[in-house]
Amino acid sequence: MGCSSSLPASNAGGLSNANNVSSDTDSKNFRVKLVLLGDSGVGKSCIVLRFVRGQFDPTSKVTVGASFLSQTLALEDSTTVKFEIWDTAGQERYAALAPLYYRGAGAAIVVYDITSPESFNKAQYWVKELQKHGSPDMIMALVGNKADLHENRTVSSQEAQEYAERNSMFFIETSAKTADNINQLFEEIAKRLPKPASS
Amino acid sequence: MEGGGDSFGSSTAPLAWHDFLERMRQPSAAEFVKSIKSFIVTFSNRAPDPEKDSAAVQEFLENMEGAFRAHTPWAGSSEEELESAGEGLEKYVMTKLFNRVFASVPEDVKSDEELFEKMSLLQQFIRPENLDIKPEYQNETSWLLAQKELQKINMYKAPRDKLACVLNCCKVINNLLLNASVVSNENPPGADEFLPVLIYVTIKANPPQLHSNLLYIQRYRRQTRLVSEAQYFFTNILSAESFIWNIDGESLSMNELDFQRKMDSARERLLGLSADSENQDNQANLDAQDRKSENLKANRNSDARLSMKDHVQGSGQDMRRDSDVTVDGKPVERVQSISDIEKKGAAELLNDDELNKKFQEYPFLFARAGDLTIADVESLLNSYKQLVLRYVALAQGMGVSPETTLAQSSQPPSDLVGSEEPENVNDNEKSEGISKTSDDVISENDRPEALDIKTSEKMTQKTAVDPNDDLEALKDEAPCQPENA
Repeated sequence: MGCSSSLPASNAGGLSNANNVSSDTDSKNFRVKLVLLGDSGVGKSCIVLRFVRGQFDPTSKVTVGASFLSQTLALEDSTTVKFEIWDTAGQERYAALAPLYYRGAGAAIVVYDITSPESFNKAQYWVKELQKHGSPDMIMALVGNKADLHENRTVSSQEAQEYAERNSMFFIETSAKTADNINQLFEEIAKRLPKPASS
Repeated sequence: MEGGGDSFGSSTAPLAWHDFLERMRQPSAAEFVKSIKSFIVTFSNRAPDPEKDSAAVQEFLENMEGAFRAHTPWAGSSEEELESAGEGLEKYVMTKLFNRVFASVPEDVKSDEELFEKMSLLQQFIRPENLDIKPEYQNETSWLLAQKELQKINMYKAPRDKLACVLNCCKVINNLLLNASVVSNENPPGADEFLPVLIYVTIKANPPQLHSNLLYIQRYRRQTRLVSEAQYFFTNILSAESFIWNIDGESLSMNELDFQRKMDSARERLLGLSADSENQDNQANLDAQDRKSENLKANRNSDARLSMKDHVQGSGQDMRRDSDVTVDGKPVERVQSISDIEKKGAAELLNDDELNKKFQEYPFLFARAGDLTIADVESLLNSYKQLVLRYVALAQGMGVSPETTLAQSSQPPSDLVGSEEPENVNDNEKSEGISKTSDDVISENDRPEALDIKTSEKMTQKTAVDPNDDLEALKDEAPCQPENA
């Protein structure tokens, strides 16, 4: 099953468990709301769990679900970014509710499954939606998940790459199962975030 | 992993509230007390205007928190202490202003009624499948626990306490989903799983005045504390509300006509209930109900083919439950709700010669509070649990949802939960959120306007697991309930 595999993630490079609370917004440490959009079943929550936990441990008592998770990422320039990651329900019937979630988000990850052309169409719908209604300086990433299933691929990376470029998005293919590119995804987003003016 | 830590905002220990009141009584706090009172008085004298009201409260709280920082008795306190002072202030001010600002404009009252009605219709036929809840996550019995958490929302006045009910409800759902995912070896649940269950639970719980409660939290919970995880889950219930407002056939994967028919027949059932209560003769009653329904149907829907007889009796495909229940071998014409049966029973009881005998089983029925001793608590609690268990079991067996007058006038079904609740539901966040203290200790001696609330029932702190808690709470919180709860 997608993200419950036991491979440890390569997340040693700079994740720290800071327990800062609200007053952590300064030039060194800031936090950002990141919203996850994409069809149901593309592995949105698996990506986040991979990022946050490295591996999912079903016996852990700490996790109360993957719909909201936060994780602090330390960058090379010694700033830290605390991601507050908001998952959204991907089923068609809930599509109209998404604006409640992406309002005020500093970043968005739009996820599709590389083996599902429908999910890629849906991803394009979300991109348009965000361009129309999201905040204009939102950082957007297009993510082709389930890259480990490349023998079943139906969405070519070139097509997705080109689409992302046309829409000035960052594109990456990930595998929540093997943890491939998961940290790279979040690090890249963190780098692209506009840094708040020093206080 | 983070997340849990700041999840419920700056949760303060139960002690913090006492600490706040304690410090407010110190002579050095006299200026603060004066400002707070003057704010409350000025505010109360203005006509309601939700936007202005909200802005005024937010601004006042912000200013006061700033002032706390600089003056005794809080000067030099840690951030944590200042935070809990802010919480205390919010709770104090909003408890005082509650009656003035809660559902204070006609639009809100109207929305409450409409939403309540819509949910009371939907809850009669909605199925988990209609919302994309996968079979492995379906667990209606356990969802009752989440419903009970949400139904507590009208027991509190402080925005934070109301918010805690929403968060506790979400937490129960998350725990259930997580357990189910482990059992069925599924991926850990995300929003795809969570939101549909929250919507379902909300519809089934149908707490009165949900709309006003959510607006109240949004307007009067200090904005800097409605952030992060609390904000996320609060957004989820707002989005559940929004979804429910807009529910039509399509959003439940139903044919629109089919949906309208289900709504109509749910409405007829509710109307049937009110006809019932006016009429004690059973048979005549049912006939009258049929006629009434028929008229209504005819008025609303000129489609003559849908005569009431066909509709009600031959509609196994329509109302799932109709076919589940039979009496004397023939299908019951409509499922009666508990309150329906209750009313009928009450009418019969009035004519019953052996009334006293029937009530002998229940020794506390005619007791007054003063008659009870501490020693009675245990047996009272046992009787109570038995009663609730029977009641809920009966409701479950009937296939109707058990929240009726009993559930709304107090919090009994949560007692059923008491010992069975997953332990993390009862963790400290919950006990903090739920622990109740006397709101008006600050003014119990010398502040006359405080007499409006339960000064005589000062409570000591308790944890949520204390078996006596709910009994006390019931007594303590009853006056806080909005009128139509």
